[in-house]
Amino acid sequence: MSERPIALRLSGVALCYRLAKQRIPSFKEYAISWLKGSLSYEELWALRGIDLVVSRGERVGIIGRNGAGKSTLLTVISGVLRPTRGEVEVSGRVAAILELGTGFDWELTGIENIFLNALLLGRTRAEIRERLESIVEFSELGDFIRSPIRSYSSGMIARLGFAVATAWVPEVLLLDEVFAVGDVRFLQRCQERLLALREQGTTMILVSHSPDVLEKSCDRAVWLDRGEVRADGSVSEVVASYLEGAAERSGVG
Amino acid sequence: MPRRVPAGLADRLPRLFDFRDLVWALVARELKVRYRRSAIGFLWTMLQPLLTMLVLQVAFSALFRFDVPNYPVYVLAGVLLWNFISQSILAAMNSLRGNAQLLKKVPVPKEVFPIATVASGLVNLLFALGPLLLILIVTGHPLRPSLLFLPVAIVIATVFVLGAGLLLAPLAAFFQDVVEMVGVAMTMLMYLTPVFYPLAIIPDRLRQILRYNPVRVILEVFRVPIYEGRLPSLTMVLAAVGLAVVSFLLGLAVFRRSCDRTAFYL
Repeated sequence: MSERPIALRLSGVALCYRLAKQRIPSFKEYAISWLKGSLSYEELWALRGIDLVVSRGERVGIIGRNGAGKSTLLTVISGVLRPTRGEVEVSGRVAAILELGTGFDWELTGIENIFLNALLLGRTRAEIRERLESIVEFSELGDFIRSPIRSYSSGMIARLGFAVATAWVPEVLLLDEVFAVGDVRFLQRCQERLLALREQGTTMILVSHSPDVLEKSCDRAVWLDRGEVRADGSVSEVVASYLEGAAERSGVG
Repeated sequence: MPRRVPAGLADRLPRLFDFRDLVWALVARELKVRYRRSAIGFLWTMLQPLLTMLVLQVAFSALFRFDVPNYPVYVLAGVLLWNFISQSILAAMNSLRGNAQLLKKVPVPKEVFPIATVASGLVNLLFALGPLLLILIVTGHPLRPSLLFLPVAIVIATVFVLGAGLLLAPLAAFFQDVVEMVGVAMTMLMYLTPVFYPLAIIPDRLRQILRYNPVRVILEVFRVPIYEGRLPSLTMVLAAVGLAVVSFLLGLAVFRRSCDRTAFYL
């Protein structure tokens, strides 16, 4: 297992959101406070020193309470946010669904959104045309593919987004709660596609609240708690200790 | 090969190249949005500078009477390039704010947004060269081979504008009032640049200062081949190239240093 090449390495990754106090919307005020030396920061460390090494083809599930830093972690891995400290190394292309419906334009049709989304992944028009049919097919949207997506249900959006993100084999695939809105059939087909991607070497990081999804889709789990890795290991062990921790907490409360 | 996510310039350029079709799509979208609501569509690009020219022609030739032979050509060439410069800089400055939702959620190289806005400004400028040619012919202005220098002048102006846009876009993302400040500065800059008046009418001492206005240099390199029918002086061209390169490098450096932080503020 450890012989496999490394797809992703986080070393001491910390991320700090600077909150209200420091968010000065005007340059004038900023200049004044800077001159006065009264720039004050209210810092919120969403991630506090994460070390994580993921080998190629591994499927890692991230679990944790709300606000534990799960989504922030994916955002940092994707490159949207730069870590305040530490380093992120990723080998190859990253495809990410960080939130349902991002990179979609609600006024455009399904087809147009396929193009938009894939262009945002760094694909060319020619590459997209080549895969268009298979994307439409996987999304199972039928004639809806020609209507503006504002008429879509959240499940349909999820299908379309997933179909585009996995149409090409990314080296690293980041998924944030995408399975929460799908039906059983969609979940089934997602699992199949994820397995196929793994065969081709895709590394997957998945954020989910559902132990069930983790058990099915991942071979390793990481429990994040207040921006730190609390446990890292096999899915069943980590999920068990996470549930135990959650039970303890509610017992205290 | 492992790649650090906050990658250096060498790593990002090939990545940016992957996104070339995205840039085109953004340009197409911007042009579409711009003309969607106008009945005469793209004609507007050509009509707007012509109307501006007409107004200025009446105002300055009839009322103020300074002596500029074939004023319509002088002012139209000036207005076209000035519009390109000011509109593109303002649009590029706003490009990160306007695409905030994407920037916060999709890992896409952030340079694509200012690049796309400047590119769509460039498309507008190229369209507007049509009416310029028309006016050259109608007014019987000699069409000299120096017109072949225009592509070079346009490239210089584009690089200059892109640099300014890259410089201002992150600032505008951090501070809302930068947008207004730059808007006011642009209006002032227009009057400080000989867009619709000849530099010669400016009092001597002030003129010595205005000569060094960078936008004026960029503008002259574009207008001299059209209006005077000769190549701009080598000094002028070198100065314009220098300004464009400095603007671009400075803009790029500021943008790369700060663009990853803009996601926190948008």
